[in-house]
Amino acid sequence: MPAVLLVHGGAWAIPEELAKASVDGVKSAACEGFSVLRRGGSALDAVEAAVRALEDNPDFNAGHGATLNIDGEVELDAIIMDGRTLACGAVSSVKNIANPVSLARAVMEKTSHVMLTGRGGNLFAESIGVGSVPSDSLVSDHERTEWSKMDNYDAEVLTDFNSKWAHDTVGAVAVDSAGNVACATSTGGIRNKMVGRVGDSPIVGCGGYADNSSGAVSCTGHGESILKVTLARLILSHIEQGKSVADASQLSLQHMSDRVHGAGGAVVVSPSGQWAATFTTKRMAWAAVEQDVLWFGLDPNERLKEKLSQ
Amino acid sequence: MLPVVVVHGGAGHVPKERSEKATMGVSSAARSGYLVLQGGGSSMDAVVAAVSQLENNPLFNAGCGSVLNVKGEVEMDALVMDGKTLCSGAVSAVRNIANPVELARMVMDKTSHACLTAEGASMFARSMGVPEVPHESLVTEYSRMRWRKNLEPGADPVACQMGKMGTVGAVAVDVEGNVACATSTGGMMNKMEGRVGDTPCIGSGGYADNHSGAVSTTGHGETIMKVTLARLILFYMEQGHSVEAASDMGLAYMKSRVDGLGGVVTVDPQGNWAARFSSLQMAWAAAQKDMLHYGLYVGEHWSQNIQEPHSPHHADI
Repeated sequence: MPAVLLVHGGAWAIPEELAKASVDGVKSAACEGFSVLRRGGSALDAVEAAVRALEDNPDFNAGHGATLNIDGEVELDAIIMDGRTLACGAVSSVKNIANPVSLARAVMEKTSHVMLTGRGGNLFAESIGVGSVPSDSLVSDHERTEWSKMDNYDAEVLTDFNSKWAHDTVGAVAVDSAGNVACATSTGGIRNKMVGRVGDSPIVGCGGYADNSSGAVSCTGHGESILKVTLARLILSHIEQGKSVADASQLSLQHMSDRVHGAGGAVVVSPSGQWAATFTTKRMAWAAVEQDVLWFGLDPNERLKEKLSQ
Repeated sequence: MLPVVVVHGGAGHVPKERSEKATMGVSSAARSGYLVLQGGGSSMDAVVAAVSQLENNPLFNAGCGSVLNVKGEVEMDALVMDGKTLCSGAVSAVRNIANPVELARMVMDKTSHACLTAEGASMFARSMGVPEVPHESLVTEYSRMRWRKNLEPGADPVACQMGKMGTVGAVAVDVEGNVACATSTGGMMNKMEGRVGDTPCIGSGGYADNHSGAVSTTGHGETIMKVTLARLILFYMEQGHSVEAASDMGLAYMKSRVDGLGGVVTVDPQGNWAARFSSLQMAWAAAQKDMLHYGLYVGEHWSQNIQEPHSPHHADI
């Protein structure tokens, strides 16, 4: 069974100045995640590793580099899901956590719950020895500057997904050699969001979904639009009805555009190793590793490849 | 067939001494929702009115009467969704307000967002002039008693809850054919602080789409989330299954795949409706064509003219 790992670093109009860093970042994260699979690790371990790499990279809007809410603070959301058991873990609006995706995994594995929010999420982190990091360490200078320029959420959204200076969500999907699929998504949300605003990322079926019988999805884009159509679950419903991963993704994103005028992107992998990276925004940084070949892209229809260095 | 409203007051085993009040509570909420619809109100107005009434009823696990988290505090979740626009509003882990479903609606109507959580939700409530209520006003003797029992070693809050007190919700179709859903809860007994269940998660606690129908769910939250139960049922309806078949298929899948029990109220845009559950019982009531329907036990379906006062039918068991 061929193992595949596919990551995205956000669907938005990534400006030239950030293009190289975005592509380098997703390529690096994809390689890191794939190395877990190559060692025989699970899809779950692989997506967590890939997303952690993106959270640690300040060029992406997750963990380090996250956008600021209207009060100038960082609130983080994340989800992780195991396609074999449908177990999932999610956190919303947690603060001062370097790797929300790992905290989400801990919710899944160490509690009887699926989702923890706010202070409760942070209390749980403390209880399992997950250190909190100072807010300043999560905020890049770039973000602080951009935040102070834009003080309006709606303007942010309008320009956001075809805008220059907004970062976006990160995520990964994988299928391992045992045929198990998993997904993970992590974000700081949209700049200037209201305090406590929760988008699609930590909501099961929206920011991500994974089911061994159909596949795994991680989504990015305008959160409120993704929520309206439960995008991840919608894509998988098309796959369940017999569509290919590419057609399922395209149909669903088109539906989101037609019905609720929202743009975004998704990475999808099937249990048999079919994969697709699809987006209706101007660009989406993505990278996939399959059989020692690294695929990546940024612009629509772009599909570059490199042999993976050992 | 239109308009119609269907209400649930939670899935699980309702103790005999509470069963009468449970059916009266949901019947009364269905009547209120129906009155709104008959007056030309929208399906959104109707579901919010019905659920709001259940939040105010201390018998149900929503608003007043909510279960307590492990620290003995009330944290509430709610969701509303509009089938015409697919807009939704939700609050999670919100404290010290009487009607989370109304706050959820405000999130939808008055912000650019779909969900606000915890302290952010409270800040928004304050900014909207929603009164803060004392914590004690939301706590009942019953919920405090159950909290204490569940602190004892060996207690199993999930099993304990599967029945006694449930999430509330409603679905409706108005005369214009617009569908809506609303769901509200205090969550799971003795849950961890900040635990969010299915209720405020779109696709899990509820979903509404004019193209297919509306669903509000109740039951074990974590398993409802794993199968995104509300959205799943509507997928089955989009594939041509009836409200009843789709609801049963969704519940059966939840039971076989992830071993969870629950209940749903479901409606399609033509006004066909179903109240189905895989748990032992679910208090439910529906109002349509001037008739009130209600039930509690499996297979039970009582009907009466909606103008008549509620006439209890339950045999003593």
